[in-house]
Amino acid sequence: MNSNQKPEMTEHQKQQLQFQLFQESLPKVNEIVYRMLLNETIPMAVSVQNRLSDNSDTQGTLGQELEEKLVLDPLKGHVPSHKLLQQYLASESDQQAKIDNRLNQIGFSLGQKLSQLLIFSNNPSLSFRDMDLLAVMKFVCRDVWRQVFGKQIDNLKTNHRGTFYLLDNNYKPVESLALDDDKSLEEKALIDPYLQFPCGVIRGVLDSLGFKEEGAVICTATLVDNAESSKSKSPISSRAVIFNVQVAVEN
Amino acid sequence: MAIYSFWIFDRHCNCIFDREWTLKTNPSSGTTNSKLNEDTAKLLYGMIFSLRSISQKLGSLDSFNEIRTIATAKYRAHILCTASGLWFVLLSDLKQEDLSQVLRYLYSEIYVKTVVYNWLSPVDFAETANEKRGQGFRKIRNRQFLLAVEQFLGPMVN
Amino acid sequence: MSASTNSVPNSSTGSKKSLKAFSDDIWKNKTAKINAELFTLTYGSIVSQLCTDYERDFVKVNNQLFLMGYNIGMRLIEDFLARTALPRCESLAKTSEVVSKCAFKIFLNVTPQVGNWSSSQDAFSLFLDENPLSDFVELPMDAAKELWYSNILCGVLKGALEMVQMDCDVFFTSDVLKGDQTTELRVKLNRVLKDEIPAGED
Repeated sequence: MNSNQKPEMTEHQKQQLQFQLFQESLPKVNEIVYRMLLNETIPMAVSVQNRLSDNSDTQGTLGQELEEKLVLDPLKGHVPSHKLLQQYLASESDQQAKIDNRLNQIGFSLGQKLSQLLIFSNNPSLSFRDMDLLAVMKFVCRDVWRQVFGKQIDNLKTNHRGTFYLLDNNYKPVESLALDDDKSLEEKALIDPYLQFPCGVIRGVLDSLGFKEEGAVICTATLVDNAESSKSKSPISSRAVIFNVQVAVEN
Repeated sequence: MAIYSFWIFDRHCNCIFDREWTLKTNPSSGTTNSKLNEDTAKLLYGMIFSLRSISQKLGSLDSFNEIRTIATAKYRAHILCTASGLWFVLLSDLKQEDLSQVLRYLYSEIYVKTVVYNWLSPVDFAETANEKRGQGFRKIRNRQFLLAVEQFLGPMVN
Repeated sequence: MSASTNSVPNSSTGSKKSLKAFSDDIWKNKTAKINAELFTLTYGSIVSQLCTDYERDFVKVNNQLFLMGYNIGMRLIEDFLARTALPRCESLAKTSEVVSKCAFKIFLNVTPQVGNWSSSQDAFSLFLDENPLSDFVELPMDAAKELWYSNILCGVLKGALEMVQMDCDVFFTSDVLKGDQTTELRVKLNRVLKDEIPAGED
């Protein structure tokens, strides 16, 4: 960073520095507001599912009445976040799938817009003109992840035939989630819906960069035991997640 | 130098956390839900409640006169009251003049990060009206909070 | 028994400047930040998903955004109090100042103008000249009629104020996204809630 010490900065380094300054000059908001928004998205998706299921048997005038009540008393039927998450655990798998899908879609539509945002910001290390799939995945691991989750993917593996493993050693949006000591299975099950959003983001980015066909990209995520975190003394446990991305490629 | 116990009361007059190091308990279990502790919690609450009422009457209208410490011949109670109605209380020996920084740390670095940011945990521990006004029984039991409290206060206990 | 207490200086004279400096310092030096456009885009994705889920029934979308904000507000207030260590406000005028100059500044890096006080001083408006939730957003015709795009803010304020014992109605009365001249968020204080006392003590 200290330019006096390195007068022989390369053209690329200069561009990088300029890009960094540019990034810092962009309007900002508090990170915690963003984290809370993302966190509340999961209970929100459960709440939507509850209401859609409720509404299937109330129609017409009754629905109208309900709407008027919502305007008069916006907190009608309010359920706190942690209760909504408990409801997710208790719901049938088809309901869970709908909730998961909703969260995945939110990530997808963000991902679609993100590549545009990142390309237009003149990042010198990005040129999309002749980007192959591997370059796109590197873009996801480095630029997309840093933008959305504040860090890069820690490890990227590929079989060079369209299958990728992205390892995030500390997937931040789930780091504070914890239940009582004797409830680790429930805790894991409650983290699952939190992994839909990033999967959607990956699909959305790939979609916007040309991998568009229906079903061309499949992305799943798994929580993995983090050997380092169980050794570490910090009470806030970092959690490792592997994202498995499969892209259908023509041979 | 010694801290004897740590208590949190919520805006429903409920004790939502208590940890007494002087009692013989299994330290890994974190809390001791004994009847004795419940009674102590109620007395402690009542004492702070009364002194708070007095100190607020002593303060003028436009200045905030919040209670911070109370001392007896052997103990000192250190108190942090938040605008959201949470009370963080530490009981120590008399050598501890001022634990306000410790209390602030317990609130902003431990409670906020392991309870407030933890979407699996409630932030309002009274689930029904029957659990308000000191009649609640729910406690903070999530493992990150318990671990963080032990790690932070443990070295100060003796 | 001896009791020592602490009084936080809280006089209304000269507090304007210091509250601003106080908030600027927290924003500049003690706040982790993210790109505002990322925030805008993410919120946009959430709203558009809700519009799809509720088949463009915007009354329901408005309400869902409000509930979402309410749950966030209940938590965000603790983060706010932990960062600022501010005591309860002695008046609604003070509250309006803390919300605009401190809370909006620290969390969204904007400072809405306070105004439009009701004659009985129990309601005020926040004018959002800048709104990081809706920068560059344009609404389709049907949504522009009924959707309160930034309604999550009302929920956040409702939840946060309730946690400091202020029972308020919070709602938008205009939004530039709807073609209005201003974006006006109204806060009406219904009552200051009494602190609970243990059962049997009253």
